[in-house]
Amino acid sequence: MYIELHARSAFSFLEGASLPETLAARAAELELPVVALLDRDGFYGAPRFHHAALKSKTRAHLGAEVTSTGGFRYPLLVKTREGYQNLCRLITRMKMRAAKNEGCISAEELAEHASGLVCLTGGEEGPLAAALERGGIKNGIESVRELCTIVGRENVYVELQRHLHREEEARNQSAIEIARKLRLPLLATNGVSHATRIERQVLDVFTAIRHHVPLEAAGRLLVRNSERHLKSPGRMARLFADLPEAIAQTQELSSRLKFTLEDLGYEFPKYPVPEGETQDSFLRQRTIEGMIARYGANDGKARRQIERELALIEKLELAGYFLIVWDIIRFCCEKNILVQGRGSAANSAVCYSLGITAVDPVGMDLLFERFLSEERHEWPDIDLDLPSGDQRERAIQYVYERYGKFGAAMTANVITYRGRSAAREAGKALSFDLETLDRLTGLVSAWEFKDDDDTFVRHFRDSGFDVEHPRIKKFLELCIRMQDLPRHLGQHSGGMVICKGQLDSVVPLEPATMPGRVVVQWDKEDCADMGIVKVDLLGLGMMAVLEETIEIIHDHDREDVDLARLPANDPVVYKTLQKADTVGMFQIESRAQMSCLPRLRPARFYDIVVQVAIIRPGPIVGKMVHPYLKRRTGREPVQYPHPSLEPVLARTLGVPLFQEQLLRMAMIAAGFTGGEAEELRRAFGFKRSEVRMKEIEKKLRAGMMREGIAPDAQEMIVKSITSFALYGFPESHAASFALLAYASAYLKCHYLAAFTAAMLNNQPMGFYSPATIVKDAQRHGLKIK
Amino acid sequence: MPFACIHVPNFILQAALRVEPGLRSRPAGIVDGTPPLVTVIAKNKNAGLLGLEIGMTKSQAEQIPGVQLRRRSIAQETAAHAALMDLALSFSPRIEEAAADTIVLDLEGLAQLFGSFENLAVRLAARAKKFGLSVQVATGSNPEVAQLAARGFSGVTVLSPEEESERLGQLPIAALNPSEEIRETLERWGVRTCKALAALPSAQLSERLGQEGIRLQELARGTNQRALIPAQTAARFEEAMELDTPVRELEPLAFLLGRLLDQLCGRLSARTLATNEIRLRMQLEPGEEEIFGIVDNVSIRKKGPTPSSLPSIYEHALRLPLPMRDSKALLRLWRLHLESHPPVSPIVKIEMTAEPAKTRVAQPGLFTPLSPDPEKLEITMARAGHVVGEANIGAAESVNTNRPFSFRMRRFDPAAAASDDDEAASLPAGPFCLLPTTALRVFRPAMPTKVETRERAPVRVFFGSVWGEVRAASGPWRTSGDWWSSDPWNQDEWDLEIEFPAPAIQAPGHFARRAENGVSRGVYRIVRERSSGNWFVRGVYD
Repeated sequence: MYIELHARSAFSFLEGASLPETLAARAAELELPVVALLDRDGFYGAPRFHHAALKSKTRAHLGAEVTSTGGFRYPLLVKTREGYQNLCRLITRMKMRAAKNEGCISAEELAEHASGLVCLTGGEEGPLAAALERGGIKNGIESVRELCTIVGRENVYVELQRHLHREEEARNQSAIEIARKLRLPLLATNGVSHATRIERQVLDVFTAIRHHVPLEAAGRLLVRNSERHLKSPGRMARLFADLPEAIAQTQELSSRLKFTLEDLGYEFPKYPVPEGETQDSFLRQRTIEGMIARYGANDGKARRQIERELALIEKLELAGYFLIVWDIIRFCCEKNILVQGRGSAANSAVCYSLGITAVDPVGMDLLFERFLSEERHEWPDIDLDLPSGDQRERAIQYVYERYGKFGAAMTANVITYRGRSAAREAGKALSFDLETLDRLTGLVSAWEFKDDDDTFVRHFRDSGFDVEHPRIKKFLELCIRMQDLPRHLGQHSGGMVICKGQLDSVVPLEPATMPGRVVVQWDKEDCADMGIVKVDLLGLGMMAVLEETIEIIHDHDREDVDLARLPANDPVVYKTLQKADTVGMFQIESRAQMSCLPRLRPARFYDIVVQVAIIRPGPIVGKMVHPYLKRRTGREPVQYPHPSLEPVLARTLGVPLFQEQLLRMAMIAAGFTGGEAEELRRAFGFKRSEVRMKEIEKKLRAGMMREGIAPDAQEMIVKSITSFALYGFPESHAASFALLAYASAYLKCHYLAAFTAAMLNNQPMGFYSPATIVKDAQRHGLKIK
Repeated sequence: MPFACIHVPNFILQAALRVEPGLRSRPAGIVDGTPPLVTVIAKNKNAGLLGLEIGMTKSQAEQIPGVQLRRRSIAQETAAHAALMDLALSFSPRIEEAAADTIVLDLEGLAQLFGSFENLAVRLAARAKKFGLSVQVATGSNPEVAQLAARGFSGVTVLSPEEESERLGQLPIAALNPSEEIRETLERWGVRTCKALAALPSAQLSERLGQEGIRLQELARGTNQRALIPAQTAARFEEAMELDTPVRELEPLAFLLGRLLDQLCGRLSARTLATNEIRLRMQLEPGEEEIFGIVDNVSIRKKGPTPSSLPSIYEHALRLPLPMRDSKALLRLWRLHLESHPPVSPIVKIEMTAEPAKTRVAQPGLFTPLSPDPEKLEITMARAGHVVGEANIGAAESVNTNRPFSFRMRRFDPAAAASDDDEAASLPAGPFCLLPTTALRVFRPAMPTKVETRERAPVRVFFGSVWGEVRAASGPWRTSGDWWSSDPWNQDEWDLEIEFPAPAIQAPGHFARRAENGVSRGVYRIVRERSSGNWFVRGVYD
């Protein structure tokens, strides 16, 4: 039985043409039981490959091709957790001292980190090929001997690849001779760069992009044929019919590679608690203190909710996490940095009591399970909004200081090819002139929201291009194939991961473009999948405005305004909102919001929550705005797509407006489990592929069929879920934003001068130009000199 | 400090005569203006004798029998001025463009080169003749004196400092080019010559005529001192000719091109330069298609349809491997090119530009084999290209692609090839090659063949009339690419040892070696196109 032990994914950034998921799925099709992923200088695609392999019931080995100072690459496979940690550290060391996409390691450094690793002699980019080219078989023998010294004789395999090249076969013959002479095992691999034969075209385009030349001029930079795809065990056995031992050896080596990402060894740091306290007891104390401050000592409902949450937190051993977030909040409070939690954390009374969030979940009857559930087996997600700029940077640097240089890092943001970028780069590779290129890319919608009929082909046909013309056809094909493939790694705007001990032995770290920042090689979804705790420290311009407004009020009016204690249900505020007099107010100042406000006529806090959530692409595209407004004014009866959905949709008059409602709808209507519903939310998230979305949609329809929901209702539910999941707001998130909206409205109504000054000091921000803000303030009677 | 001045009298006419020397001995005039008001602006002596006057209308002038009238051509005047500059620069590096028809030269230090200023002035006039210009030359102690004398006296005038004021004194006041008002005043005073003006008391003259009067007096005395204003000497070698009658045949066109090339090469030679690129731009008569051609050395014309989309400009650049300035050789190259690429309509204007380059220094080495004369080689190459097509001549060059045996033709350039060889020889030894090196004779085009296979590997190959048995096979070696183009490839190559029954077959078997037991054997490269499934013999190993 053959096992593919050398494959690259598109996470080798322009050196591989298939996503890890595609590789895993193709491996399953070909009945390859195991595939090893060795991306260039990193584990960028490892979590996705690991999960895809689990899903397709294959196994995933991990490794990396690590660039050497000699100009070649060591193909390294991970045997044990120690090996994984060593490789992570080795890559981190290499990355941290070099510019982006550069960096290499010396043989001595490899020797230091060699434990738990297996080294192959590589294909045309490997150490043996380089040695043979330098000085023939003699040099080849020396190089393999050196490898034996570095990683140990038992961990060196002489790799043979057969892509039907004369030169490669000549190299193979030398390799066989060397292996026999040094009594080392031969290992057959296919040096895979793409899952199927056809993806070679994408690989060629990537090569052209990487070398900044059009395909026509790329010449010998391109691969010679399409043989670097995943091949079935039978086919590989035929290719190596003369060397059956090289095929047999793949199984032997695979059995030695014990490590999987299940065994990552990540531990969340423990919060240092005073002697005699445990994490849980310390958290309980802080929560109760906060609860008394927020709710008073006698609020039975709040107490019950908090007890329920604390019990679950204790059960899931998450006390440390809450304490660490609380610690950041405490730091911010000490340093007078305005901070507010948003996202699903606003569903938690513990978070409210600890001062992490400012929305009262008990009062608003928010769903705690959206934040934390026993079933999901993942870390809760707490996003903190901080004033953008220096204040946020201070909070980030505090986390670095607190957990050490290699104890905390930002999450990455994988930049993938989307419509426009794919069109532009494919067009360049095909040598389209600039005018045509501009025309073609102009056709590709920048607005990523697409309906079923919104395809490349339709766009091009409508614009008068002949989609049957060979070059246009090829261009379209390439654009479609390049969709969702990673282009490069960026930095997430605020996601931080924290680790007990060294984070660089969990995932390789890289320097970010911004000095003093370090990023991990995984994006936030990957981190979440791997159970790595993430805290989002996000910058929000309005927070800076609020902070400055309060300062100005303090300095000039000698008055202290506490955002947490603003008078609720201030009539002036609601009157202003109903008049849509909202220039400069957070989230409700756009023209679309203004046109909706007089119709919705907010009269209580929950109306603002709805107002924030309703003017979003999701409800607008899903055609939910008008039904809601009509029902609110009694011009339309309240109806439900299916009677079973009434409990979920009652508070929004039968119209789904919030993400939680959609998840609940999927759970009720299609019988999804909590985990599946969460998967649905992620599939429709910003950065995930269309393929995955289609899969989930299929599952959703099948589920509803089972539950006996009528086709019309099915259509409606699918439409609301697909249009919403991407842009719909979670209710708790909308509530957090509504709080800021209320605060900004309150400050504007009562402290117009201070608010206007702060707005002007924090430009550019918001929807309007400074001139409009000034004019609006003058209209409200403010004298501006 | 001595200066010389070259002045071209009747410049507008001379600019026209320069490209049409035949007109010199005939009565000729130049007309200019916007129809219907087209008037005579220049004439030669012969035309004057017949009664042609400046200012006559064109229709009046056409009434005079025998007078040749030409339209004024700014392009020809520009070329004549450029030629005048080249002439001056071939003598002195410091020159001043006083006017389109007048150039002043700084002669400092040139007496040693030319013996005397007189000798120099005579040679200037003689060389100007070669450029097709009849000039007046004068030398003087300052630029103004030289200029006045050149404009005022015909032929060659050499003024010594002592005699300058006296000689200039003979010139009429009009030579100083005064304003109309001053000229009338001086006329009223009875001052008609430079001598009379020079004799007037300066203070009183200044009181009456101001500073302009003093300036004119200094000019008349020959004492106006000023520095030379050196001209920017951008080397631009351009000649043009506007044709009153469109040229429809190759022979007369070649004649005109020859004349322009003579002018250009003469100017290049005056500057000790040559050219490595000559651009020809011809304006074609719109709306008429006539195909130029030559059959058995006889020009033919073929009337064709007159599509409106015909190009109105014919442009081509003749790039030369080495700098040349032999007008005859260049003309031959142009003729060859025009014969194979004739213009589609009659020609109404010709512009020719030469890109200047340093002349090549030919110093053959004692042990270097003599290479062919570059001019002759270029003509031979052009002739061969004319026969086999320009894309099929030159030196083969491998192309940056994985497509097997790809090459393209590069311009044949023995000098560059030699330097490439030198570079290759000086490179360090190449990387270690794992493949055994053996020569492969490639068949171009590849020979179609039939192949019998077993388990996808060839076992018998058909050569003309005989089947060869495969004794050993290596392959397939697969290549594919250019999938984005209209000419993709995807093929498997096999290296086969093939045995033929005796006697050894012809054609590819020609290279087969005769084995001892009476059978012939050879190692061949056989290719299978994967798209069509066709087999070809690509070559044979030595």
